[in-house]
Amino acid sequence: MRPEHWLYTIPLRLRSLFRGALADQELDDELHDHLERKTDEYAAQGMTRQEAHRRARLDLGGFEQTKEKCRDARRINWIEDFVQDLRYGLRMLRQNPGFTAAAVLAIALGVGINVGIFSVLNGAALRLLPIPRAEQVVSIDQIFHGRVTRDAHNGPSMFSYSEYLDYRNHNHVFSGLLAYEPYVEATLGGGKMRELSGALATCNYFDVLGEHPAQGRGLLESDCATPGGNAVVVISDDLWRGTFASDPSLVGKRIILNRTAYTVVGIAPPGFKGTEPIPSSFWVPITMQKELDPWRDRMADDNLSWLALLGRVQRDVTMEQVRADLDVTAVQIDQLHPGRTTSLAIRTATFFNRQMEREILTPVVSVILVAFGLVLLVACANVANLLLARASVRQKEIALRLSIGASRSRLVRQLLTESLLLSLIGGALGSLLAFWSFTSITRLMISYLPHEATTLTVNVAPDFRVLAYALGLTLFTGIAFGLIPALQSSRQDLNTALKEDDIQRGGGKVGGLFLRSALVGTQVAVSMVLLLATGLLLRGLYYAQTLDPGFEMKGVATLFLNLGEQGYSGSRGTEFMVSLQQRISGLPGVIEVAQAECAPLSHDFSADAFTVVGRVEKIGIEYNHVSPEYFSVVGIPIVRGRGFLPGETHDSPGVVVTESTGRRLWPDEDALAKTLRESSGREYSVIGVARDAQVAHLGDVHPTYLYFPAGPQDNLRVYVLVRYAGDFLATAKGIRNVVQSLDADLPVDVTKLEDYLEVWRQPSRIVAALSGALGALALLLASIGVYGVVSYGVSRRVHEIGVRIALGADRTEVMKLVLEQAMRPVLIGGVVGVAACAAVSHVLSSMLFGLSAHDPIAFISVPLLLLIVAMVASYIPARRAMSVDPIVALRYE
Amino acid sequence: MSKPVDLVQGTLDMLLLKILALEPMNGFAVSQRLKQVSGDVLQVSDGSLYPALHKLEQEGWITAEWKTSEYGRRAKYYSLTKLGRRQLEKEADNWGRLSSAISRVIKLKEA
Repeated sequence: MRPEHWLYTIPLRLRSLFRGALADQELDDELHDHLERKTDEYAAQGMTRQEAHRRARLDLGGFEQTKEKCRDARRINWIEDFVQDLRYGLRMLRQNPGFTAAAVLAIALGVGINVGIFSVLNGAALRLLPIPRAEQVVSIDQIFHGRVTRDAHNGPSMFSYSEYLDYRNHNHVFSGLLAYEPYVEATLGGGKMRELSGALATCNYFDVLGEHPAQGRGLLESDCATPGGNAVVVISDDLWRGTFASDPSLVGKRIILNRTAYTVVGIAPPGFKGTEPIPSSFWVPITMQKELDPWRDRMADDNLSWLALLGRVQRDVTMEQVRADLDVTAVQIDQLHPGRTTSLAIRTATFFNRQMEREILTPVVSVILVAFGLVLLVACANVANLLLARASVRQKEIALRLSIGASRSRLVRQLLTESLLLSLIGGALGSLLAFWSFTSITRLMISYLPHEATTLTVNVAPDFRVLAYALGLTLFTGIAFGLIPALQSSRQDLNTALKEDDIQRGGGKVGGLFLRSALVGTQVAVSMVLLLATGLLLRGLYYAQTLDPGFEMKGVATLFLNLGEQGYSGSRGTEFMVSLQQRISGLPGVIEVAQAECAPLSHDFSADAFTVVGRVEKIGIEYNHVSPEYFSVVGIPIVRGRGFLPGETHDSPGVVVTESTGRRLWPDEDALAKTLRESSGREYSVIGVARDAQVAHLGDVHPTYLYFPAGPQDNLRVYVLVRYAGDFLATAKGIRNVVQSLDADLPVDVTKLEDYLEVWRQPSRIVAALSGALGALALLLASIGVYGVVSYGVSRRVHEIGVRIALGADRTEVMKLVLEQAMRPVLIGGVVGVAACAAVSHVLSSMLFGLSAHDPIAFISVPLLLLIVAMVASYIPARRAMSVDPIVALRYE
Repeated sequence: MSKPVDLVQGTLDMLLLKILALEPMNGFAVSQRLKQVSGDVLQVSDGSLYPALHKLEQEGWITAEWKTSEYGRRAKYYSLTKLGRRQLEKEADNWGRLSSAISRVIKLKEA
């Protein structure tokens, strides 16, 4: 519409809205005027006055109807109607407090948990970084295609330092581009020994992010001038307050990180915890990389993925321009690597930027959202059922309105307004509950995570996105549960509805009962899926508890040492390890000491591609470097050949394979003395076969795995495994004392080997708790649904039952009849649920520890439980059918 | 009552605009005029006339005013606005093209 058009129409519309009475009066006058003239005309043609008036009215086609059509033509009606519907709806809700409370509660629960989980996901993955003008900051990821040999140190999509410099120096779109290495581990020394996680950052870090330290300064370009030259650090507010007890004179003092002294130049502002989901405690200039982690010179390695990139886009530069500009540089870099093409993924920065993180996160998030959405669906089905039940009560009212000229769409609109009103109240209540409770729930969930992170940078407080989600969900809910009952109850045969009473009305109601049964069936199906998932996970947990991993977990203490990170040289490391082993062996209660590159189930993995000499097939096999004592310490027997001998190192040509590996590589042959080629081309011969043990992945029953002898190279990063008899605490204390007597600055953490098992069980424990809570909620809602449908069915058939009993039917017979009818939708829904769960349960298999995703025990016991609950839910109202007094029932008319 | 010719969708608006373009008049007069000029071919029931007039008013194409009529009776008089005149031109133009196109098709000789 053109603007001048609005000038005309807006006053008119406002007038019909606010001066409705006046406009209505005028309309009345106009039509009366018309009638009079018409009557005059007909009278002039010779009709009697009365006849003329009748004809005039006939021509007009019903005075009120025409008036209504004129009002419709003003198209303002819907607002008036809406206000009217709203008023009417509120009155209806007030008049039925029981119904209103039940419906609102169901919706509040359904919407509440969905909004809650969304606010967590929003905080984790959608919220922008909490920095000034965060919308200008983009993250950059690179994805390689074609022939690529790349050292994916911190994740395949990250950058090398030289690549960072290329993008920084050649772009025309950023006001600043920074790079940092996330999750750099460092040991805080100097009497406050603690493991910290921080970042190595380019010196424009704080400037680009727009964060100004609360005390002191940020990093300056001069801090990055010479490699290794500027040992300065900015620490987080949390670290300052916690470990340094808010020392007001800390800036300017020195702290020890991995044995190097750094001058604290600044303390970050309180709200700033870095740009990763787990908070950063310190920021050190990137030029100090080699001092912080002497393992390796990362700055110089052009083929190493270790840096995350964030850029602040210049004003008035669009995302397309950024892409085009950076692609030029990407193409230039690709020219140095024939056969490789790089595509860049550029997006507004959040806490989860990296391609890989997002690829993992997306399916997890979808599964969670679907599970929560299913519960909402069950809640909606319940409310729809309540509405249908009420619709049968309101049938006469609706029929009356239809018969005096209300259109069906008008009625549907009114019924929908009522259900939207319900959903808005429920949604608002649920959202409030979610906002209140989810901060604490998130904290609880995080405390379960197998990480030392007690805090996350995630902010679950509601923002506009959460509010929009809550509103959208609420409106959707209102329509979802309101539409079908509204359509159903506004479609009726007026004659029967008005004339006949509740009991005799048969035909029109069959549809209603079918709908209600279908809704109950859906509820049962959904609860079945959720409960079966819970059942499977619980079975998996139990299985993991009882399963024999193939090695002896009890009575072993472990200690992880990263000597390389602490600045040890190879020879010093070997010296340290030799005396450590000697002294620990001498401790009382210690039986044997071994070392390994990866402790069993420690989530440390190494793998390589191997070939059998004479074959082309490459097979990925995980491996470990272990000392000779390893097999006896963790109780893995050598079933053929021998284990390693003292003095065997990386240079020795022998390896030990597992039974499964032997069978996989040389089926029907003896693996002993066979030859295996590493990807480097070196060949090894099999000197022994060890029994299968689930040392790498819990639940992997036929592990392909092999062992190399440990050598001096392994001493700089090593797990020490100690078999002891007696008290763990005493042994742990002894080990700690030994380590500290050798090097007082080494962080020591002695744990039980069994504790690693907990880490494996944790994810399925969390998921089981989550799906269990959801399943229980869904089951509760579904049983309310079953109860409702049965009691409705019974109340409708009181008359029939009365007749049956009067005619001599057995009461148990009657009971059977009612139950049969009630259980039909339950059984159908149950079968559908079982089938649906069986079809998708394989997604859980990684959390089942080798238990079949179609575990018969879970698949029998859970449906049984559900069946029993449904039986009880239908038995209670069905009892009423048995106690029907035929005299009362028949008089009921 | 003879069966009125069904009006092509949207043409009622055009007819009403055209009639009101001649002179301002009230609803009753519009219905009389419509019957009169179309020789009873186009009969618009009173029941659809008034909603149509109200719609045109709402669109801003016609405007209404309460005046005292020749018999001393108060009546609502409709007249065309500037916007309505423009709309009429547009619709008449469209109609001309449509009807001539249709007649060209109808007059095609059968082979």
